[in-house]
Amino acid sequence: MKDKLMIKVAGLHKYYDDLEVLKGIDLDVHEGEVISIIGASGSGKSTLLRCINFLETKNKGDIYVNGKKIRRSAGDINKLREKVGMVFQRFNLFPHKTVLQNVMVGPVVIKKAKKIEARNKALKLLESVGLEDKADVYPAMLSGGQQQRVAIARALAMNPNVLLFDEPTSALDPELVGEVLQVIDKLAKQGMTMLIVTHEMGFAREVSDRVVFLHEGKIEESGTPDDIFERPQSERLQAFIASIW
Amino acid sequence: MDLFNGFFIPLKEFFMVVIKYAPKFDQAVLLTLELSVFSIALGTIIGLIVTILKLTKFKGLQKIAYAYISIVRGTPLLLQLYFIFFGLPLIGLEFNAFISATIGLAFHSGAYISEIFRGAIISIDYGQEEAARALGMSKIEAFIHIILPQAFKRSIPSLGNQFIIAVKDSSLASVITITEITLTARQFSAATYNPFPILFIAGVYYYVIITILSKSLKALERRLQVDER
Ligand SMILES: Nc1ncnc2c1ncn2[C@@H]1O[C@H](COP(=O)(O)OP(=O)(O)OP(=O)(O)O)[C@@H](O)[C@H]1O
Ligand SMILES: [Mg+2]
Repeated sequence: MKDKLMIKVAGLHKYYDDLEVLKGIDLDVHEGEVISIIGASGSGKSTLLRCINFLETKNKGDIYVNGKKIRRSAGDINKLREKVGMVFQRFNLFPHKTVLQNVMVGPVVIKKAKKIEARNKALKLLESVGLEDKADVYPAMLSGGQQQRVAIARALAMNPNVLLFDEPTSALDPELVGEVLQVIDKLAKQGMTMLIVTHEMGFAREVSDRVVFLHEGKIEESGTPDDIFERPQSERLQAFIASIW
Repeated sequence: MDLFNGFFIPLKEFFMVVIKYAPKFDQAVLLTLELSVFSIALGTIIGLIVTILKLTKFKGLQKIAYAYISIVRGTPLLLQLYFIFFGLPLIGLEFNAFISATIGLAFHSGAYISEIFRGAIISIDYGQEEAARALGMSKIEAFIHIILPQAFKRSIPSLGNQFIIAVKDSSLASVITITEITLTARQFSAATYNPFPILFIAGVYYYVIITILSKSLKALERRLQVDER
């Protein structure tokens, strides 16, 4: 099951002016794989995710999705984004649309899906994140945890092959973190391919097939959760883990 | 007795004139309403187009938009109306008075409306566009479905102000022969030698129009607030 290459990142470099933020990243993501990306603040975790779906333009290197190299054309990029969903730290739900409309809008606008079909699918997705009873309220009436679950449903509505999460629980009150992690865990069990930037080490350890440790724009170390958390090799990873626990 | 007459006879006369002349303003009120509605509608469209020009990547289009706004802001509306009605025919662009006035008023308010839209659009959190783009929407789809509706809502209070100004500005069309409320008032004043009640009528009509407009805008604003906590 885990042999089909879903995303390949090859020699990725990213600069902000003179600052080199990503210094040659190589990363293979296989179908069904859950990869956690950890590292200190400023190490480039968000930038890496954002380069993968072209929210930031990379300076060097290539990104392949399903074996196809993504070019920097608007058409290619929009298609890529349909296949690669993203969940943001601050949810970014559309405040002028109801919960249901938030989940429907992608398929309706982008895929020209029939309203009724998009609606049925959105309701199912809301049910799967435990929010079917909130379909007709606006995001402002939801807690942070509920908003983030809607954001996950919204991303899923596009039938993505991969989901990218950028610190999906960092903006949440501690008591709301669990409900969001539960949803992600359920997706992992269903075989969703995911790249998760997180500071929740316990969760990363439990849910991931592989953990990638980023340090100053490079992958310093990667391996199974046990490798990374039990037997860290590099000094920097050891220091990072010591600082976290 | 003198005191009584000195006060009540003019008062009675005042109301007689008001009652007699108020209905004679019907065509004038209609013209003011038409001028206001058309110039506001056209001005909003111009405003939206200019906003989009300003937000495009094309430097040439941006320059045109900025030139337009600075000309409108830098010259009086009265002069702009004169220019369209008396100036343009000299270079072969001739419109009737009503169309000249509508174009002039729309051209004028369009500049202010575009500034209102632009302010509202750039005030929308960048995360909104990112989330839309991350779903796979094109720039245009994100603009139409995500940014514009939020920006429109946010611009309603200032837009309402601008609409009220547009109604008042329509009175300037009187100088290019349009017999809207203000010019009509001037004509009746001259005919009756009694400007006080006539101008009073005109004022009441404007006041009522603007009050209805601003109440409707408040109602719209409230209806659009359902998505706020
Ligand atoms: N738009 C930008 N312009 C300039 N520099 C930026 C920009 N975005 C990020 N950076 C810089 O790039 C580096 C990496 O940032 P990034 O956001 O990827 O870090 P991160 O690992 O996600 O950190 P955190 O854990 O705090 O979210 C930082 O030094 C940051 O200051
Ligand atoms: Mg980050």
